[in-house]
Amino acid sequence: MKKKIMMMSLSMILGLSLIGCGTSDSGSSDTDYTIGISQFAEHPSLDNCREGFLKGLEEEGIVEGENLTVEYDNAQADISQASIISDNYVSENVSLICAIATPSAMSAYNSTMNTEIPVVYTAISDPVEAQLADADGTPAGNITGTSDELPVKEQLEMIRELLPEAEKIGIIYNTSETNSVSTIATYEELAGDYGFEIVSKGINTTGDVEMAAADLVTEVDCISNLTDNTVVSALQTVLDQANKAGIPVFGSEVEQVKSGCVASMGIDYYELGKQTGKMAAKILKGEAKASEMNFETISEPSLYINTEAAKNLGIEISDDFKSGAAEVFDSIVVDEE
Amino acid sequence: MIELSHIHKYYNPGTVTEMCLFEDFSLQIAKGEFVSIVGSNGSGKTSLLNIICGSIPIERGSITIDGRDITSMKEYVRHQKIGRVYQDPSKGTCANMTILENMALADNKGKPYGLGRSVKKSRIDAYKEMLSSLNLGLEDKIHTRVGSLSGGQRQAVALLMATMTPIEMLILDEHTAALDPKTAEIIMELTEKIVREKKLTTMMVTHNLRYAVEYGDRLLMMHQGEAILDVSKEEKKALTVDDIMGTFNRISVECGN
Amino acid sequence: MALVISVLEQGMIYAIMALGMYITYKILDFPDMTVDGSFPLGAAISTVLIANGVNAYVTLPISFLAGLCAGTLTGIIHVRLKVRDILASIIMMTALYSVNLRIAGRANLPIYNFDNIYDNPVMNAIFPSGMKMVQPVVIIAVIMLLMKFLLDSYLKTKSGYLLKAVGDNETIVTSMGMDKGKVKILGLAIANGLVSFSGSLYAQQQRYFDASMGVGTAVIGLASVIIGMSLFGRVNLWGYTFAVVLGSVVYRACVAVAIRFGLQSTDLKLVTAALFLLIIVISRQLDRQGQRRVQKNLGNDKEEV
Repeated sequence: MKKKIMMMSLSMILGLSLIGCGTSDSGSSDTDYTIGISQFAEHPSLDNCREGFLKGLEEEGIVEGENLTVEYDNAQADISQASIISDNYVSENVSLICAIATPSAMSAYNSTMNTEIPVVYTAISDPVEAQLADADGTPAGNITGTSDELPVKEQLEMIRELLPEAEKIGIIYNTSETNSVSTIATYEELAGDYGFEIVSKGINTTGDVEMAAADLVTEVDCISNLTDNTVVSALQTVLDQANKAGIPVFGSEVEQVKSGCVASMGIDYYELGKQTGKMAAKILKGEAKASEMNFETISEPSLYINTEAAKNLGIEISDDFKSGAAEVFDSIVVDEE
Repeated sequence: MIELSHIHKYYNPGTVTEMCLFEDFSLQIAKGEFVSIVGSNGSGKTSLLNIICGSIPIERGSITIDGRDITSMKEYVRHQKIGRVYQDPSKGTCANMTILENMALADNKGKPYGLGRSVKKSRIDAYKEMLSSLNLGLEDKIHTRVGSLSGGQRQAVALLMATMTPIEMLILDEHTAALDPKTAEIIMELTEKIVREKKLTTMMVTHNLRYAVEYGDRLLMMHQGEAILDVSKEEKKALTVDDIMGTFNRISVECGN
Repeated sequence: MALVISVLEQGMIYAIMALGMYITYKILDFPDMTVDGSFPLGAAISTVLIANGVNAYVTLPISFLAGLCAGTLTGIIHVRLKVRDILASIIMMTALYSVNLRIAGRANLPIYNFDNIYDNPVMNAIFPSGMKMVQPVVIIAVIMLLMKFLLDSYLKTKSGYLLKAVGDNETIVTSMGMDKGKVKILGLAIANGLVSFSGSLYAQQQRYFDASMGVGTAVIGLASVIIGMSLFGRVNLWGYTFAVVLGSVVYRACVAVAIRFGLQSTDLKLVTAALFLLIIVISRQLDRQGQRRVQKNLGNDKEEV
């Protein structure tokens, strides 16, 4: 009998705590907003995105702690978690969900399908492929945002300029990351125009990176990084192997250049987040509807250079080239979180 | 009739620890005969049962039941016509299933285990009748998990399960050795009753010389892969425990026991 | 309210997977990691078929069959090739990762623009528009209960008894004249069929397939089975399978509560682990008390054999 009571009370506590909270928060007045940020994984680029997003809102007068309440949850790369997170936001009836990275965006879109809650996403390479937008860029539903599609063409141009003799570019990517797979396709499509050949190595886990890198450095003249979550997590391993072989690694965004890539024609995720935040502000203020806004990309990719990394490899970078950079780093900073 | 002819069995063949257990061993057991087997440790009595059941392979020789050669038959196929009760009471029953479920499982032996309902209501009375013949009151506990029964009760159920369906042979592998003397006595009496009622060809390995003498039509004493004593019928009836104790002590001393 | 519904939806979908794990873990005593691959297998197959215009309901039995094949292969690797149980299942899980990518053709496949089993003209006609919110949860409940009763009735068949027997005592299966290897393969096949079926339901509820969908499935399933058996197993209302279903819902609820109360998501797994440990320890404590009581009661019986 005692067991039965214990068991039943436990189930009741769980049940009540779920229902109880569901009804508690409601009173969001016209000027006070509650938003939920669902981020798929812990990762510097995505973190920058989130910070930029809040900054973007702030610049539009929506400031956390003043007229904005922010709920933030990280799915730790677990899809079932991502869907519970967005379901939770829906039950709290937030004003808007900001979804960072593809699986979170897909879950948020799915959770809000029968509601009025708009979703703003960021850090998605291909919103069309993910069926969040139609081929012409119009939203699939009450959802819009920004894409972090890599400026592959500009990246190839940059590599050609820095390494006039290079023939083969190596890329490591996780075969199960959609973003990477589609970017590789773009690389292969455009490489020929610049006289390059792409050598790609597919991996599945962070543990595979070292072997793939060790193998790759013997075959290629340089390595170009994507925004692949798995590879970026093990960037130091890639850099180690490349340095041993004396070949340069090119990054895909600012953080990677900071931590030792020679240069990148890439995205500043902070800027991307800011742009997304501004879109969100329009939606929150009622100036625009997510369902009517096409997704946006960063219009001008920015150049980042790390002179110390270049010097270590004996690569000459002209002052002329440097002048075009958004930021030049003169030391390698290994990010310590 | 069960016939083992020219059996050769080695342990670890081809290695330095190679050990010959049976060399050209032959044995015939008549239909309906109840054979009790005794012998020292390592004499090959349990191996003999394992060879008949197909639990261990043999190097040479053949085994036939009623003229049917079963030498190359898989263990589980042979068991369709063999009932076996082990020393460990937990081996002959399923602890997590009820008595009724265990009986239903055994009732289907030899037939395909398909998608028909296992417990047939019409058979429950028959199961209860079988259980009541054990005189252990188990017929009132058919919904009890077998795991919560005592060792003796479990062994009685195991014996019943092994003999429920028509079988060509019953193998008893020291099936009373793990029980206390009083319980062992009850199980032995039950065994005798079932074997006689169903006229089963039976091989019983036992460490208890008294049981070997009291029960069965024939007595074998195994030693180093040979039957050094084989008495039956009238000759066996005249046999006493003291008679075989002498022989047994002699071989035990040889083995260093 | 939406969160409660979400917990029930996911809890019941995962419950079908947990029923599969109940077969392997509780009945067969087989640590089966295949599920991390067979769960997304069902998801991959149903999303691809739906994207190609196949009726969503038709994809359910197909997913079940695919899981059946995966489980059979794990069984064959273990039984016929004599590879250790957990190793055999890990081999299969690894292989399935690539197979799933091949089936889906890519790592992430959305099906937002297609009918699924929860949202289609027929179901929308059956349910009044006011019940839109509970439509999926009702459909899931019906399917889940159907699977539970099918499994329950299977376990009452002769074949089902043999399955229960093989996990309990392999020797008895041989004694019954049956090949215990085949019975194990059958059990693994049915279990993974259920898991794959559950994956299909999950992908349709989420409206997409993702290659990383299967990560952690075995842990979720195991947690559901253990929580269910520990909390509800001893009460035995509608059988152990029902306890497993409840376990799955409780596990989902725990995760939801943790998120709800603004727990740092970094600590989430640690809290889940602590909760898990607590439940196991409490249940063992209760078991011991129970055993003492049984021993007291049996004390009188000892005399009678």
